[in-house]
This record gives sequence, structure tokens and C-alpha cells, in this order.
Amino acid sequence: MRWVDWYGDGSLFVLDIALACCVLEFDAAARFAAGPLPPLDDRAQVAVVISGTVTDRLAPAVAAIVDGCEQLAGRRPVVISFGACASSGGPYWDSYSVTKGIDQLLAVDAYVAGCPPPPEALSAVLDEVAGRVAS
Amino acid sequence: MTEVSPQEWLAAVESLKADGFDYFDWLGCVDEIGRQDCLRVVLVIRNVGQGAELRMLSCSLPRSAPRLDTVSGVFAGAAWHEREVAELFGVEFIGGDHRRLLLSPEFEGTPLRKDEVLAARTGMSWPGAKEPGESEASPSRRRLVPPGVPDPAVWGDRDAAQPPADPAEVAESAVGGRVRRRRT
Amino acid sequence: MVCARECPSWCISINSHTEPISDLPPTARERTRNVLDRFAIDWSLCMYCGICVEECPFDALEWVGDLTQPGSGSDGLVEEMVQPPS
Repeated sequence: MRWVDWYGDGSLFVLDIALACCVLEFDAAARFAAGPLPPLDDRAQVAVVISGTVTDRLAPAVAAIVDGCEQLAGRRPVVISFGACASSGGPYWDSYSVTKGIDQLLAVDAYVAGCPPPPEALSAVLDEVAGRVAS
Repeated sequence: MTEVSPQEWLAAVESLKADGFDYFDWLGCVDEIGRQDCLRVVLVIRNVGQGAELRMLSCSLPRSAPRLDTVSGVFAGAAWHEREVAELFGVEFIGGDHRRLLLSPEFEGTPLRKDEVLAARTGMSWPGAKEPGESEASPSRRRLVPPGVPDPAVWGDRDAAQPPADPAEVAESAVGGRVRRRRT
Repeated sequence: MVCARECPSWCISINSHTEPISDLPPTARERTRNVLDRFAIDWSLCMYCGICVEECPFDALEWVGDLTQPGSGSDGLVEEMVQPPS
């Protein structure tokens, strides 16, 4: 897996599960390139962002990746459902092959609305996760 | 577009390839219900050397038993297209790869046929069914049906005394784009 | 209700009821008016297409430049836009 060191200082590592169009907004929001996860100190946080439509065929794989993240990082990641499709199926909720939101399989900590959400929305949510904003 | 019979399908593709049309472009399917009772499998191959001239072959298969020879022996890349058509339309490609491509193994149904109803829409109560001044959609005869959902008298709430609706009737009734009033 | 009807994602929910109009001249027949009870948009379904804004015959909806607030909980992104009368 390839993680983005979001602030460049080792305080927050973010993994993007890049499924569909929302990944472009993730790429626009990320200021650093992704790389392998370095050893973490106690204060470091990890977050997993699910960007894009979750299909029934891929949903178990997404759940497995998030479980894998928890084992790799040694702590439970903050799960962010980015965009309408990941939050509830979005405009494709009625499709025969789309899971109505990744929260059908995982506990989600934050839902970001948008189709796609602007990059600033992701930055704002991650700032809150990292405690950099008085919320 | 050249119409080919199912018996001549493989031979037609092989002879076109021998004539220099050796680039497989795509293979797809159209459900012609409402116009003809068939599934039309369409294949496009190109002659890249001659300015990408293309040939389009079409084969009409009966909707009840659509079977066609696989062309994956001629063009290996056709296997993916045939798997997709097989799982979404229910066409059987004789001698081809029968594995699922995009749908999960437990999935049942042929979603891209026009008489397959979008079940999620029929199950959910549509917010647009309420008229101004209502908090619940009234069961009166002025009730509206959303696009994509067949008229309940055709599918869903059909009178038990009537025989099941003909697939063409279901397909026509589910056509979206315009909100329609329920026929009484 | 045009917005709720035209929304392709079915994300707008509107509830309303009718109330009789009280101050009418004594000989007038009874008339009613519609009262809005609930206007909610589920932002997790909304695809920001703008059809609702275009279709409203009364221009009741408009685009705003703010970010939609993130939510938590499975109903976190449903925004109730009508406050009940206190």
C-alpha cells in the first residue's frame, strides 16, 4: 500500500482506496506523493479514504484492505467515506451492482458529501481528524 | 452493418480476419424487445492497415435461447467482451469462457435486458410521489410513477387474475425520461 | 414538489399539509393553503446536478458557494432545512 504523509511531517498518513472519479479530487488535495508506510511513533495518526463507487464485487476487498491497514499501522485508522458514492451509493444507489455506501460493511467516521467533493472538503476533514482545526 | 446468421457467425469473422481485418474492436449486445423479439449481438473489427476501415457484423438471437459461437479462438481479446455480454444479457457463447466478469458469483439475473426491472427503485418510496399538501403519497388514482419503474398494473401490483405481463409490455412500461400518471 | 419529482437521485424529501385560511369574508367559500412541514436533502445521494435549482418554478432554491459540512453517522448527511415552528 502507498500512503501519503499528508502534512509532510509524519503526523498523519492517509491511504486512498481509489475506486472512481473522487480519486482525482484526492490527488488534487494531496500535496505529497504516496509511498510505503514508515515506522510510526505513538502520536501519528492514520486515515483511510474511500474515494469512489463501491461495487458489490469489490466491497469485500475494500473491507479487507481497511482491516489490513489496521494490522499494518498497529492502530485503528480513521475511515473517511469520500463523495456521494462511497457514502450511500450516490447517484448509483439504485444499480444492481453498487453497494449503498461502504458503511454497509465498515464503521465510517466521517462522510464527505459531494459529487465529487472539492479537494478543500477533504483537506478540511483531515485537518479536523488531525486536530489542527478548532471544530 | 452486415446481418449474419448464427450458423455463419464464426465463419464470417474468420474470413474477415483472413481478408486483413485483424484488429478486434468490440463486441456488444442490444436488446431489441419492443421492435423484434431478439437480442442483437454486434461485433466491429477493423483493418488497421487500410485507414482503419471497419466492418460491423450483427447477429439476431432469440431472447428465450440466445446461443452463439465464441470468436475468442479467432481474437483472444473477444473473450472479455463475450463474458460481459453473457453475464449482462444472458447470451451463451458456445465454447467460450463462461466465467463471470464484473458481477459477483451470487448475482442472479440479466440486468441489461430491458424487461429486467430496477428493483431498488420499485422498492423505495419515491419522494416525488407526494403532491403539494401531502405528507404521504396518496393511494389515489392520481399517483405518479417515477421513471424506471413500470406501471404497477403491469409489474408489481398486477391483478392476480391476469396472466403475467409480457416482457415487451414490462420493458415499454419501465422506459424512463418522463414522469407518468398511473393508468387506472 | 417539482424538485423532488425531477431529482434523479431521489435525494429531496418534502412533507406538507393543508390548512384552511382563517381570515376570509363571511360569505366566501372555504379555502386552504399548503404549509411546508419538512424539506430535507440527503447530501450523500445528491450529485450536485442542479436540476432542482433549474426546475423550481418559484426560484426557491439557489446555489451557494459553501462546502457541505461533513457528517458522521449513517444519517449524518441528511440536512433538514425547515425548522418546526416553536
